[in-house]
Amino acid sequence: MNLSVNGVPHNIESAPLTSLLDVLREELQITSAKAGCEQGGCGACTVLIDGEPQRSCLTPVVAVEGAEITTVEGLGTPNDLAPVQQAFTHHYAAQCGFCTSGMMLAAHAYVEHGGTEDREAIQDALGGHVCRCTGYVKIIDAVAAVARGDSFDATLTAAGTRMTNLGGVA
Amino acid sequence: MKAVGARVPRYDGVAHATGRTEFVDDVRVPGTLWVKALRSPSHHADITRLDVSAAVAMKGVRAVITADDVPLLEYGHLSALGIPADEPLLAKGEVRYKGQPIAVVAADDEEIAQAAVDAIGLDLTEKPALFDIRKAFDADAPRIHQWGNWYTHFEGGMDRRQIRKGNIEDAFDKADVIVQGVYRPAAIEHVPLETQVSLVVPEANGRLTIYSCTQALYFSMGVVAAHLQLPLNKLKFVGGTVGGGFGGKVDTATETICALLAQKSGRPVKWRWTREEEFLCSSTRAPWHMEIADAVTKDGWILGRKMLTLHDSGAYSRFSPYGLTKHSFHHTGAYSIPNLEFDGYVVYTNRVPTTAMRGFGVTSVSFATETHLSRIAHELGVDPFELRLKNANRIGDTSPNQIAYTDPSTVPTILAIANALGHKLTPDYRAMTRDPRSGDLLPEHLVAQIGSTEGH
Repeated sequence: MNLSVNGVPHNIESAPLTSLLDVLREELQITSAKAGCEQGGCGACTVLIDGEPQRSCLTPVVAVEGAEITTVEGLGTPNDLAPVQQAFTHHYAAQCGFCTSGMMLAAHAYVEHGGTEDREAIQDALGGHVCRCTGYVKIIDAVAAVARGDSFDATLTAAGTRMTNLGGVA
Repeated sequence: MKAVGARVPRYDGVAHATGRTEFVDDVRVPGTLWVKALRSPSHHADITRLDVSAAVAMKGVRAVITADDVPLLEYGHLSALGIPADEPLLAKGEVRYKGQPIAVVAADDEEIAQAAVDAIGLDLTEKPALFDIRKAFDADAPRIHQWGNWYTHFEGGMDRRQIRKGNIEDAFDKADVIVQGVYRPAAIEHVPLETQVSLVVPEANGRLTIYSCTQALYFSMGVVAAHLQLPLNKLKFVGGTVGGGFGGKVDTATETICALLAQKSGRPVKWRWTREEEFLCSSTRAPWHMEIADAVTKDGWILGRKMLTLHDSGAYSRFSPYGLTKHSFHHTGAYSIPNLEFDGYVVYTNRVPTTAMRGFGVTSVSFATETHLSRIAHELGVDPFELRLKNANRIGDTSPNQIAYTDPSTVPTILAIANALGHKLTPDYRAMTRDPRSGDLLPEHLVAQIGSTEGH
């Protein structure tokens, strides 16, 4: 069966009921989606299926034949970060990083669908995502910043650049 | 001090934001075997039969290990510090908690590994179990541990962590009021989003490369080397990327078993716990039982404290003697109480072994002390902020273990909280500092405890 991941077509060999998470991680070696609970409870495996955030651990691959799958690898690269990636870096919204991929995809979809900087609305949009390092405040700050259309200093988000002394950045 | 107040990028920030951080489960090694464990279905039982022959014979099974395959079966997490070992890597003869690993299988995939575990023959004879630390000392309590129901190897062969400071009887004689309280915080599961996981790769040069999610890499290295009876130079640990730990990944949960299975199979071996295993079988923060009686004057001086602590260690010791020691050193919280009688016990139960979690041993006593101080203020009818400020640690005051404080932060912290809450304080309390005690703040009962800060 065929599947497009981050714009690249793939011919999938896994059995039809294999979870999309296992197809991504084990067959395609795309590891940004994480196996946190494999029960649909934590949100770490979230990917975008035709632009909608979904649990890849609960999705049999046969159910998404022909769909366009987006993982964090498809949002941007270290030298060309998507706004949500810039915001998460800028606002220190990742601590251990294990929940971050799922969080960012849910945040990206929220903003793409016209989400505002309203904190309660952001909490609703991210309600299915657990962060045990308890970084929710910074995560919500980051999503609100993207929703507002903040611009982020390139020196803060560029890979490999030492970024200090950026006055006025709270 | 260039970094203070400046925005400094996280070295791993962009890697997290692009999904490129490589956690243990993201490391790809061709031919990696999966691990599953036969875990005890019982809280406390004798093992009367363990037969792994059907699992060994199964197609796709590459290695099966029981207690008999471990070069050094018992090695404690604190053995390097002289704390004796009590926990077998795999259960031998008996099981002491539900979920305790008895045998482990490495197989070509997860399904085969689970089928092999299901094929292992196990017969148990149930024994009475102990779950309540308060009942561990009863004459008719089941005896569940080789040392008795509590740890007996503190310095000098003592069966408790004991602190005696000042003259406790004199303090209680002089008290206007005795305020008592019992505090019992429960177990907490750490729930890291990344469950316990390791990957061990046998290298052509005879070394083992161990990809580990440990929070305590050098502890884990020592534990693995001891169980395997290998010199440290045969182990290459790759760590530093932890998908949440909070203390739960101080224990060496998977590395040793993967290393043994990698040795036996000659193949790379990965063991990633399921969320169910993480909840049911991984260590937790300990439940505690704390009884406090404080000798207090009408105007809010705490003259003395008697305290009994029971620390639920679960089935084995792991880091608990260390956690209780920290607890004892901090058992007055952020306050100076000069006369002390503290007894703390590390108590065994048929629960999963407990371990560190965010302020190991200290969060429990902070909770108890702060609640107790509010209780004292309520009983005396004094302002809870003023009670705290009065008894707060000052420079030169000494801790329960006789260390003189050089920069205690209690006073500025409480003043900051009062300010944030808009709590009104009288001018003399508002003007308080951490400076050494003098005048009205150095009543007779606090004189003798003052220590020297020189050399700190």
